[in-house]
Amino acid sequence: MTETDPQVAKSPEVALAVRNLNFYYGENHALHDISIDFPARRVTAMIGPSGCGKSTLLRVFNRMYDLYPGQRATGEVIFDGRNVLERDLDLNILRARVGMVFQKPTPFPMSIYDNIAFGLRLHEKLNKADMDARVQDVLTRVALWNEVRDRLNAPASGLSGGQQQRLCIARSIATRPEVLLLDEPTSALDPISTARIEELLDELKEEFTIAIVTHNMQQAARCADQVAFFYMGRLIEVDSADRMFTNPKQQQTQDYITGRFG
Amino acid sequence: MWWLKLPDNARFSSQSPSRMTLATATQPEEARDKARVSHAGSRRSGPDTAFHLLVAASALLVLVVLGGLVVLMGVGGSQAFRTFGLGFAFHDVWNPVADIYGAWAPLFGTIISTLIGVAIALPLAFGTAFWLTTMAPPRIAAIIGTAVQLLAAVPSIIFGMWGFFTIVPFMAQTVQPFLSHHFRHVPGIRFIIHGAPFGTGLMTAGLVLAVMIAPFMTAVMRDVFAAMPNMLRESAYGLGATRWDVMWRVVVPWSRTGMIGAIVLGMGRALGETMAVTFVIGNVTAVGWSLFAPRSTVASLIALQFPESPAGSLRLSALLALGFILMLLSFASLALARMLRGDTK
Repeated sequence: MTETDPQVAKSPEVALAVRNLNFYYGENHALHDISIDFPARRVTAMIGPSGCGKSTLLRVFNRMYDLYPGQRATGEVIFDGRNVLERDLDLNILRARVGMVFQKPTPFPMSIYDNIAFGLRLHEKLNKADMDARVQDVLTRVALWNEVRDRLNAPASGLSGGQQQRLCIARSIATRPEVLLLDEPTSALDPISTARIEELLDELKEEFTIAIVTHNMQQAARCADQVAFFYMGRLIEVDSADRMFTNPKQQQTQDYITGRFG
Repeated sequence: MWWLKLPDNARFSSQSPSRMTLATATQPEEARDKARVSHAGSRRSGPDTAFHLLVAASALLVLVVLGGLVVLMGVGGSQAFRTFGLGFAFHDVWNPVADIYGAWAPLFGTIISTLIGVAIALPLAFGTAFWLTTMAPPRIAAIIGTAVQLLAAVPSIIFGMWGFFTIVPFMAQTVQPFLSHHFRHVPGIRFIIHGAPFGTGLMTAGLVLAVMIAPFMTAVMRDVFAAMPNMLRESAYGLGATRWDVMWRVVVPWSRTGMIGAIVLGMGRALGETMAVTFVIGNVTAVGWSLFAPRSTVASLIALQFPESPAGSLRLSALLALGFILMLLSFASLALARMLRGDTK
C-alpha cells in the first residue's frame, strides 16, 4: 500500500528542515553548519561517538538549550513554516508540539495518572471523563494500560525502568506533538524493555516524526528509515538506513559503523 | 516473632557454634544476623576490639548525654511541676514576687515568634535557593551562595544588636504608627496590632529570627534542589511547562522531604534562640494576641531570670521546668517532621 502511494513515493514531506545550523556552548563551537531534513512520519536515527553533537542537535529542536545561559544557536530550523530559532517564538507551544524523551526514565514525583495528565493540563481544558479517556488512550498505545490500569493512582516511581520509560513516552505523546525527540531512550534499559520500546517506535512513526539519538548501531539499523552520522560537530553523512549500513559513501562512516573507532 | 519458634531454635542450639551459623542460614533475618555478629566477635583481634569499643562508646555517649539532659531538666523542674501540677504549662501568670509561676506566657511567645520567623524565612529561603540553583548566572550564584554562608555564620548576638538598633526603632517609628493609623478600627486586625509603639514584641522577634534562620534554610534547600536531576526538570519544560508549573508541580513535590528538613532545622534554631530574641522582644511575661506588644520567650526568660534565682528556689525549679518543656517542644517538631515525611522508622 505504502509503496504505491504516490505522495510518499515521490518525496516525503519534510517535518523539520535544518539549514546551516551552528551551535555554541559559550566559546565552544559544538555544531558546524548542519543542514539536514527530517522526513515526516519517519524515524531518523542520529549516530556518532560521544560528544559529536547529536544530542545537542536534538536539544535545538525544542529549544531546551534556552534554559541555560551561554548556549546559543544560529541558522534555521524550519518547523511548520517557521524558524524554531526565532527569538519571539512561544516556547511552551513549541515544546508541546515537539516532545522529548531522555536517556533515563524521568517520571514526575506524582501518580501514574498525573504524570500523563501533567502535560494535558498545561495545554488543554479537559473534563474528568475526557482526561480519563486520553490517559487510557496513550497508556494503551505504549502497551502499558494492562499493566497499570489497577494502580493509576500509585506513584510512578514504583514502576520498573522499562515501564517508566514507556510512561515517559506516553506522557510525551499525550499532548499530541508532531515530532518526538528521543535521546538514547533505551540506554538505561535491559534488552527486553529495549525491544518493547523499539516495537513501540515502529507503531508511533505512523503518526509522529521521530528523531532518535542512539549509540547502538543495531538499534539504528532496526528502527530507522534514515540515518545521520555525526563526527566532531559535523554532519558527515545522511542516507537511508539500508544504504548507510551496507554501502556508506564516506570512509569515516564506514569506519564508525564497522567499529573501527568511536 | 522468630524467637517464639522454640522447637526450631532448640534444635540448633544443641549443635556446635560453627554448625549453628550454617544451620541458621535458613532462619529469618534477625536470627541469622545475630549468629553472624557473635561469630565475628569471637574472632576479633586486640586493636580491633579496642576500636570497636571506642566507636560504640562514642555512640552510646549520645544516649547518655540526651538522657542526662532530660533527667536534669525533669528533676530540677519537678518542684515546679509538683507545686503547680501539669497545669504549669498552661497557666499564664509568671509572678516572681508572689512566687506563682506558669509557663504559658513564655511558651506562647516562643511558639508564635518561631512560627512568624519560619513563615517569613520559608518563602525567602525557597526563592533564593530556587533562583541560585536554576536561574542565576553561575558567577552571581557563587557570590550570593557565599554571602548566604557568611550570613549563616554571623553570631546571634550580632543579630540581636542589629535588631535592637535597626528593627526596633523601625517598628516603633514607622510600622506601628502606620498600622495603627490605618488598621486601628479594622476588626480582626485591631487585636493583632494593638499596643503602644515600643517597637519590641513578637513581630520584631519573628523578623529577626527570620533573617537568622533563612540562610540555614537556604543552604539546605539549595543542596536539595541541586540534587534534583536536570533531566527531570527538562522533562517538565519539554512538555511545555512554564517555570511556575515546573517549580510548583515538579520541584516542590520532588524536594518535599528536603524542604521539611530545612524547615525543621530553622524551627529548631528559632525555638531555642536566646540572645537575639532577648534584645528585641521586650521581656514582659504577658499573654495576648498583639504581635506588637512586649512579650517573652522561654529561652529569653530563662536567660534573664536564671542569675536572680537562688539554688533550691521554686523560681529556679520553674525555669528548669520551662527548659524541660522547651526540649519537649523541639522533640515534638522533630517528630512532626518525621510524620510529614512519611518516615515511620
